[in-house]
Amino acid sequence: MRALVIDDSRTMRRIITGVLAPLGFETIEAADGRQALDVLEAGTEVDLACIDWNMPVMNGLDFVTAVRENREWKDVTLMMITTESETSQIVRALAAGAHEYVIKPFTPEAIRDKLQLLGLVAYEEIA
Amino acid sequence: MTPGHAGPAVTPDTLGIDAFGGADPIFAIADDVFAAMIDGEPGHLRTWDGEQPAVEDEMHAWVDVDGAAPGRVLLTTERDTATRITRALLMMDAGESVSDEDFRDALGEVANVVGGNVKALVPDPGALSLPQVTHEAPALDPSSLLYELPLDWRGAFLRISLWQLPTT
Repeated sequence: MRALVIDDSRTMRRIITGVLAPLGFETIEAADGRQALDVLEAGTEVDLACIDWNMPVMNGLDFVTAVRENREWKDVTLMMITTESETSQIVRALAAGAHEYVIKPFTPEAIRDKLQLLGLVAYEEIA
Repeated sequence: MTPGHAGPAVTPDTLGIDAFGGADPIFAIADDVFAAMIDGEPGHLRTWDGEQPAVEDEMHAWVDVDGAAPGRVLLTTERDTATRITRALLMMDAGESVSDEDFRDALGEVANVVGGNVKALVPDPGALSLPQVTHEAPALDPSSLLYELPLDWRGAFLRISLWQLPTT
């Protein structure tokens, strides 16, 4: 599995990468939506995109909209990870095509749980 | 400029925040941020007990909230504390050197996450700015101080303050 981690904060990209790696994801980082589109337009296959909202150049909502407008990328799972926590913003992101929404701060378990719900990470077997 | 107690006596209640069962919602946000992102467990952040100490070698990180009532969420601490926060956030060893870029990015992200959650408490908020991190305190009118929360993180002092910004 390959994940595209899109956040203008190097710190946050490193944290998210640190959460995804033990779950079996190879990660590619992008500092804004435009850089992330460049990765997809180069033909890089991605299973998951973790997307911040507030970024320079191209924000996360515009990235989600752009991805959803291109059928070549219909299989990319889009998960917003952002400080935008108002219900109205969550509704906007989901309406634009995001599959899941995680509000910062988050725990590694919260990310894992969302990825399990999305079918990208297997549920742990119950002994 | 060091924010003091000269501003209007505005409490979370007068900010229209009453959904936290009497607890300080700004502390609740900060506590969540430190527990989830920095410490990996709750219990290392508490309100500062006693008089606020002078802050040496200050660092300031903030985000602005646009909207009908624009404001600023400002995090102030000593550089040494900010470096410790960066190490914890990035899970670095105690002896590992912290680059200036890492340091500014990490402190800015803490302000960003705190500010984003504070934004959700504000009626009819607008956009959240990108975080700014400076050594010099931002120029703010002391009378625009809305709220101030002195904090103790593992024995180190830091302060979160909310400021009203002029409408444009």
